[in-house]
Amino acid sequence: MSLIRWGRTGPLNSLTHIQKEMSDLLDILSSAPQVEGYSSMEFPPIIVSANEENVFVRAELPGIQINALDIQVVNDVLTVKGERKPVVPAARATYLRRERNYGTFARSLMLPEKVDVEKVTASYKHGVLLVTLPRAPEAKPKQVMIQKA
Amino acid sequence: METKEHPSVEKKKITPDKCVVTGKGDWYFPQSDIYETPDNFTILIDMPGVGTENVMIDLRDNELIINGEVAQESFRDERVLYNEYSVGHYHRHFVISDAINRDKIEAKMSDGVLSLVLPKAEHVKPRKIEVKTE
Repeated sequence: MSLIRWGRTGPLNSLTHIQKEMSDLLDILSSAPQVEGYSSMEFPPIIVSANEENVFVRAELPGIQINALDIQVVNDVLTVKGERKPVVPAARATYLRRERNYGTFARSLMLPEKVDVEKVTASYKHGVLLVTLPRAPEAKPKQVMIQKA
Repeated sequence: METKEHPSVEKKKITPDKCVVTGKGDWYFPQSDIYETPDNFTILIDMPGVGTENVMIDLRDNELIINGEVAQESFRDERVLYNEYSVGHYHRHFVISDAINRDKIEAKMSDGVLSLVLPKAEHVKPRKIEVKTE
């Protein structure tokens, strides 16, 4: 940084200031999530992953009572239903800011593999739901032995 | 109270230089509610994936800084097939006024929701003034 004599703030200085403000604004706007059509509106957002044994479905569901969740697997369709109940303040309250939403939701998704419906388990930790769906025996990869003729 | 048919969540990514603690991974802007009761202000913040031990709440001057770190659960041998959200840490800060009794701020984390109770200082609490008769 170079030294500038006191009192010499020309018109160029304010322009640099505007330029800086603009680039800050662009930074904020470009860091916003990319809207990908309808899928970004779905609740809860999910991640589906798989390994050789299981298919995993993770969902971000903060602040939900487990008994307000209903998880079903029918054939290869997983359905997660539930309700996010509003926090009812003890005394009369005035909301100053409201960003979190409440309400009922339901989501179904087609699983990528055939699963063993009997062995599906689900856990809920720190507001994240994890459904573990073991692959059906016929969907597991099988090693083929090569025999020497 | 308004109830929406489909609650929606949008994760806003923030640039790390805006965060006070810079660690590995991305940082997100969590959603929060603030309400006021006669005795307290309550802040609720959604931070799915953050455990009680990974929340850091700092009060510097009049800024309340909240950082939530998600446990970096690795997808070791998993292949991600479909992805709708990104996993990352959370950061949010609020400027608080002198109307808050700073020694008595309480925080609780449950099911990925942080609730902060900020009690009002005695001098701002609503008080009933009795009218005396002579």
